[in-house]
Amino acid sequence: MNIVSILQNILNGLSIGSVYAIFALGYTLVFSILGIINFAHGAVFTLGAYCTYALAVGDFGLNGLLAGTSLPFSLPFPLALLGGSVMAGFVGVLVERLAFRPLRAKGADPLLALVSSLGVALILVNCLQFLVGAEIYSFPSGIFGSLPMAMIFKMDGKILAVRTVQLIILCVSLVMLLALAWFMNRTRMGKALQATAENPETASLLGINVDRYILSTFFISGALGGLAGTLIGASFGLAGPYFGVSYGLKGLAVIVLGGLGSIPGAVLGGLVIGLGEAFLPPDYSSMKEAVAFVMLFVILLARPQGLLGQQTIQKV
Amino acid sequence: MRIFVVLAASLFFAQTAFAEPVGSPIPVGIAVGQTTNVALFGEEQVNGAKVAEKMINEKGGVNGTPIKLVFQDTGGDEAGAINAFQNLISRDKVVAIIGPTLSQQAFAANPIANQAKVPVVGPSNTAKGVAQIGEYVSRISAPMTLVAPNALKRALAINPNVKNVAVVYAQDDAFNVSETGIFQEAIKDQGLNIAMVQKTSVKDTDFTTQVTAILGANVDMVVMSCLAADGGNMVKQLRQFGYEGLIVGGNGFNSPNMYPVCGKECTGVIVAQAYSPKADNAENNAFVPVFKEMFKKDPAQFSAQAYTSVKVVVDALSEVEKNSGKKVAEMDTAELRTALNAAIISSTYETPLGEIVLDADGEITQKTFYVSQIKIADDGKTGAMELLPE
Repeated sequence: MNIVSILQNILNGLSIGSVYAIFALGYTLVFSILGIINFAHGAVFTLGAYCTYALAVGDFGLNGLLAGTSLPFSLPFPLALLGGSVMAGFVGVLVERLAFRPLRAKGADPLLALVSSLGVALILVNCLQFLVGAEIYSFPSGIFGSLPMAMIFKMDGKILAVRTVQLIILCVSLVMLLALAWFMNRTRMGKALQATAENPETASLLGINVDRYILSTFFISGALGGLAGTLIGASFGLAGPYFGVSYGLKGLAVIVLGGLGSIPGAVLGGLVIGLGEAFLPPDYSSMKEAVAFVMLFVILLARPQGLLGQQTIQKV
Repeated sequence: MRIFVVLAASLFFAQTAFAEPVGSPIPVGIAVGQTTNVALFGEEQVNGAKVAEKMINEKGGVNGTPIKLVFQDTGGDEAGAINAFQNLISRDKVVAIIGPTLSQQAFAANPIANQAKVPVVGPSNTAKGVAQIGEYVSRISAPMTLVAPNALKRALAINPNVKNVAVVYAQDDAFNVSETGIFQEAIKDQGLNIAMVQKTSVKDTDFTTQVTAILGANVDMVVMSCLAADGGNMVKQLRQFGYEGLIVGGNGFNSPNMYPVCGKECTGVIVAQAYSPKADNAENNAFVPVFKEMFKKDPAQFSAQAYTSVKVVVDALSEVEKNSGKKVAEMDTAELRTALNAAIISSTYETPLGEIVLDADGEITQKTFYVSQIKIADDGKTGAMELLPE
């Protein structure tokens, strides 16, 4: 392996890994507050991508209830990305209202919410198929304005190829990660969220409206999921209402690998899995899905709490 | 003595309870994947089958008795297919089943129908051995041994100076693996040099590594055996990175789902087809306008094959009526299933795919294949496959 192909793999890995990181952060935020996994996160990812598509392109395909219809407007991609993420955020809120709050209000075992979130995910994805069909959608090539589609660099006779969309993904993801870090550590609301995560009872005694913060968490988590879905969709197309399922599983591997509930862990986990996939030789690409889980297995053998997770202390 | 009378009577009633007439409309089962990641194909199959039901019933069904399609979703796995088959056989009492979508589902579910003596017609199972699962199993989806060399010849007619070829195939899909074998033989037979073979996965979306390797090898033709979503993405990335040579795609590319994936970058791709909406035969000329009216688009190969499956079953039902002199709706379900299967196999059918022959094994021989070139409209989203002249 020469230096050019190593550079190529690092670029590919960072680009996809940064999306995994954003996506996994959505899981992490909900986990750190409620201590459970939101299995509807993959569905929110898919819905976010479709919402952005609707705002940016506005045309629906040939199957489903919306066949042949189109919206009277289409937004430039950055605005649509923002709009799609916000809409995904509201879907996140909807998931909380449908799958989590009713069970929490009845004092049910938190594990039950895991199952109800799975149910809500199925309903969302099937509604989506009912509306837009199972066909593939993708963003037209002119979506990024006059930017070239790809750049080719020649280095000692070897080719380094960069798709513009890869750079856009990397930049948007990095900006998003920095913004989230600033929000969590520097704003009142971020600190309140952290307090709620630390201990909901104490937080509520300190005058924090816990229910409102749980709702905000689901909004942020959904928006992050929707953003990740859009970025993947912009790069590879929207491969039907079920395309979020495998990313949902991969996101789980990312947070367990990085350490459950750890924000830097989710970022590191995403990048590690992205790079691992990129360095897999193309002849073995059908095993790409397995990479995440093999890495997970190996790392958990050495560090059961994940890369950056904290060991839980058993209190008797 | 009395006990014998009771036993005999109950046996008699049990017999009549089992001997159920088929009834009108005649139920035909459609078990395809309408959800999960095969929904893309299942949706096309459902559309094709619905057009067949409408057209057949408008022409009076089976000599005056209408048919009714009973849809059961199989999902994308074996368990779903088995479940759907069982429901269709025992609850819906269908006379035949059309399905499932995937070959691996056929290997799991078809033996159940075979055991229950219910005829199965495979609309899209191309793996080796599907027709041989049992005597009640047949298929109308042909393997691609003839069309691959044809597609190559047409490509060479467009650019006779091709020397070096890159071969790409999805290694985790049985159909594409067998198709690339045929392509590679044909490439060598044409005296061309296979400069490299790249393996991909149907689940792949990012092909940067494969594309840079192909660009570095200076080939003038890329021959791909992939499905629409992965193949479309790879075509897009090849073109975006500046590859300008010919691209030949196998039968997996024969789907309008290519257009939204690679958009304008699809234009010029040569596709080997088992079905073309532009095929000029009486059956296809009747089928395409009705399909376009119902779904506002050209039928895909999966739709045409589903239509063909329904037509095969209905033609065979008419044959049963002709031979037995009885109305099929009044026949006993089990009796009809057996007679129907005998009529399905060893017969010739006129279909939108052209003339097809099913042998005694239920294996298909298809006479005509097509080679087309993709042309995308100016909107960058809709397109068509234009037949290349012989």
